[in-house]
Amino acid sequence: MTPARQGGRLPDRATALAILAALVCAAPVFAVAWIAVTGETGDYLAHLARTRLPVYLVNSALVAAIAAGGAGLIGTVLGWLVARTEFPGRALFSWVLILPLAVPAYVAAYAWLDLSQAGGPLHAATAGLFPTVRGAWGAGLMFALVLYPYVYLLARDTFTGQSADAYNAARTLGAGPFSAFARTSLPMARPALAAGLALVIMESLADYGTVSYLGAPTLSIGLVRAWSGAGSLVDAARLSLILVAVALIVFGLERAQRSRARSHAASGRHRPAPRFHLSRTQGLAAALACLIPLALGLIVPLARLGWLALNEQPAPNLLPASWHSLTLAAISAVLAAGLGLSTAYALRGRTFIATASARAAGLGYAVPGAVAAVGVIAILSGTQALIDPAWQSFTGEVFPVLLTGGAAALIFAYLSRFAAAAIGPSEAALARVTPALDGAARTLGATRGETVRRVHWPLIAAGITSAGLLVFVEVLKELPATMILRPFNYDTLAIIAHNYASDERLGEAALPSLLIPLVALLPMIFVARYLSRARSSSGQV
Amino acid sequence: MTDTHTRRGLSIRGAQRRYVKETAALAGADLDLEPGRITALLGPSGSGKSTLLRAIAGLERLDGGEIRLGDTLWAGPGRHLAPERRRVGMVFQDYALFPHLDALANVAFGLKGPDAKTIAMAQLEAAELGHKAKAFPHELSGGEQQRVALARALAPAPAIVLLDEPFSGLDRRLRQELRERTVDTLRRAGATALMVTHDADEAMAVADALALMDQGRVIQTGTPEHVWTHPHSVTAARLLGDIEVIEAFIKAGAADTPLGPVATPDFKNGCTVYVLVRPQAIRLTPAADAPFTVTRRRSAGTHLAFTIENAEGQSFTTHTPVPSKLAVGDKVGVELDEAFVTVVGA
Repeated sequence: MTPARQGGRLPDRATALAILAALVCAAPVFAVAWIAVTGETGDYLAHLARTRLPVYLVNSALVAAIAAGGAGLIGTVLGWLVARTEFPGRALFSWVLILPLAVPAYVAAYAWLDLSQAGGPLHAATAGLFPTVRGAWGAGLMFALVLYPYVYLLARDTFTGQSADAYNAARTLGAGPFSAFARTSLPMARPALAAGLALVIMESLADYGTVSYLGAPTLSIGLVRAWSGAGSLVDAARLSLILVAVALIVFGLERAQRSRARSHAASGRHRPAPRFHLSRTQGLAAALACLIPLALGLIVPLARLGWLALNEQPAPNLLPASWHSLTLAAISAVLAAGLGLSTAYALRGRTFIATASARAAGLGYAVPGAVAAVGVIAILSGTQALIDPAWQSFTGEVFPVLLTGGAAALIFAYLSRFAAAAIGPSEAALARVTPALDGAARTLGATRGETVRRVHWPLIAAGITSAGLLVFVEVLKELPATMILRPFNYDTLAIIAHNYASDERLGEAALPSLLIPLVALLPMIFVARYLSRARSSSGQV
Repeated sequence: MTDTHTRRGLSIRGAQRRYVKETAALAGADLDLEPGRITALLGPSGSGKSTLLRAIAGLERLDGGEIRLGDTLWAGPGRHLAPERRRVGMVFQDYALFPHLDALANVAFGLKGPDAKTIAMAQLEAAELGHKAKAFPHELSGGEQQRVALARALAPAPAIVLLDEPFSGLDRRLRQELRERTVDTLRRAGATALMVTHDADEAMAVADALALMDQGRVIQTGTPEHVWTHPHSVTAARLLGDIEVIEAFIKAGAADTPLGPVATPDFKNGCTVYVLVRPQAIRLTPAADAPFTVTRRRSAGTHLAFTIENAEGQSFTTHTPVPSKLAVGDKVGVELDEAFVTVVGA
């Protein structure tokens, strides 16, 4: 069946916006690559290679491996429990388990280091037996605790969607329940699990706050130091390229794995598998298994920071920082949702240019925030170099410095990093609107505009909103790009939390640290409920 | 529904549609739909039948040819009437019910004015689904979804009703029941309808007229009986069910086939022709010195299917009414019932 090709204004405009989205998302990466290749070679990178670079690489690998292992284990087990078994509180856990995503890893790190270091309550209560959360393993653990929802979500949906047929066939062929799971359900879920793990690895490599606080310097630390310490854009760009290369390898492996797996995706009529009924003890154990990561990733850190915040005067710069965080996050969210939506519409036209744009925009996903920031700096300084002479010859005055363009530069970097995060969900939301629905509406007398208003919008509104809210939360949590690009004296919650914490003033860091997850929690609840509801109402029609 | 629209026929002339880098989906299709009659469009997958249906609905633009209702041009050179202005009702293959609207709102979607809900409710009740008015599509069974889709298509009193494989997602029993119900509903509405299907039995059971499609063209039209007994070509014959195709040479006014001579008044001596023999045409008579041997016997409910083979190894399938005493290994002679035999040019 070939979809109706829609001529006319709407798709064309969408394609134009999709190209814009692609430019916004991909331009910083290309700028970074350009600077890295064409820039002059300085001593810094050579010096770095002899001294710190090996440490950065080892730490990056360790942190990513521990994060992936931990998040993979937690996410897969919880995803399977929620999808395939019935236990007390299952429906609630189904979406509540996603909420730790509202907690930035560095915020969890502040709380856990404070609890577990010498003199901390956990250290005291266990007479020093509880190890201090620090170094590469501590950082990896923090990532596992707050990033496992990526794996959990994909695992839950895959295990829910899996037809019972393969599993039953395995049982009739003599496999026991566990063996049938390991030989059919698990391999069938592998592409989804790999996609979740790729996200976990990327997020942990992109992090700055956690690894800097817990003393496990990774590549992104080196990157930020190259720019803010050594002031070298070229060296920062070259370190960025290493990070981007790692990212592309991770996502490339994930893609390769997925394309091979497609051939044995379920076909035919979907027969959902019934949930296993657990005994009373087993059910309580399952509920406990859900409660533990939730407590460790969400409840304990927030409780500890709340306690610290209660015993401290709020910092004077808290209000402007909150305002900045909120406005930056809100503007980025709206813009990202708009770009995501128009890209999704453009993709519907199935033209080459739309597909190419969407994929180029998707590149942004693989780009850590610090790299996006370096790219934005490269673009701005390049533009400055082009404009300055012309401007001066016409007006005789010096052109205003673009780098102090401020919030706009920040939003550019955020969009570059997160617009891709809005494209995927938008595409998924619009995928529910099959061409046949358009046809049905049109044959029933609705014009193109009415079709969008009466059919598309009601179907996609929640999806687009949740894509925007996801970007809102991500921008709220973002640290390294903000550090690199923020105008002088322009604070956000993440910045002041990081600055106080780095100065060993955890008491003052507590309130801004607490505010980020608290503000993020409400949108996150919307997203979590949407992601848990969309599953049950899509696919029937 | 005595709307003037329903009294006008639809005519399609030379409809063409090409997709980039693909062969033409429509390569000059001609078709006439008579007012108030149900036409079935039968063809193998990829023959362009869905494309033709979508072109009539206006969901697909023509690259050439024209579509008109009565004397109103719907599509032609430089003209493409928007789908919402054509007043067609369409039942989609997967029904395309709006998942965010309940059954009543789905049916009322195409209706305007204060009594939209009332008309929609009446349609739902006619489909015996009044009690499901508040149910959402995913809460309805497959058959109920199909009935809502049909009610939705009929509610605005369309000029033409288009049905794209409307029973394909259903199991066999339900299929039969819904097929009859659908035909009743269409007849009661006096609708001019075109139904796409790839199931020959379904097409013949449902339609007043049959249109056969292959490679983007309508290759034959007529009543189901006529098309079945007088196919114009091997392709047309095969579309309507099992058939033996025998290539034969004409001698003395008859085609010489292993099953015996077949009179060919319309062809000259010396031509090569295809003799098309339905399995029902072959009558078997046991005889010790006969040229054929029964090699297979299979029960098919209302009839028995025998496979017979001659000394040269040529084999044919026949349908014989039950009961029959013939068994594998029996020698049989054959006789042809010419009502089930057609000769076409090679």
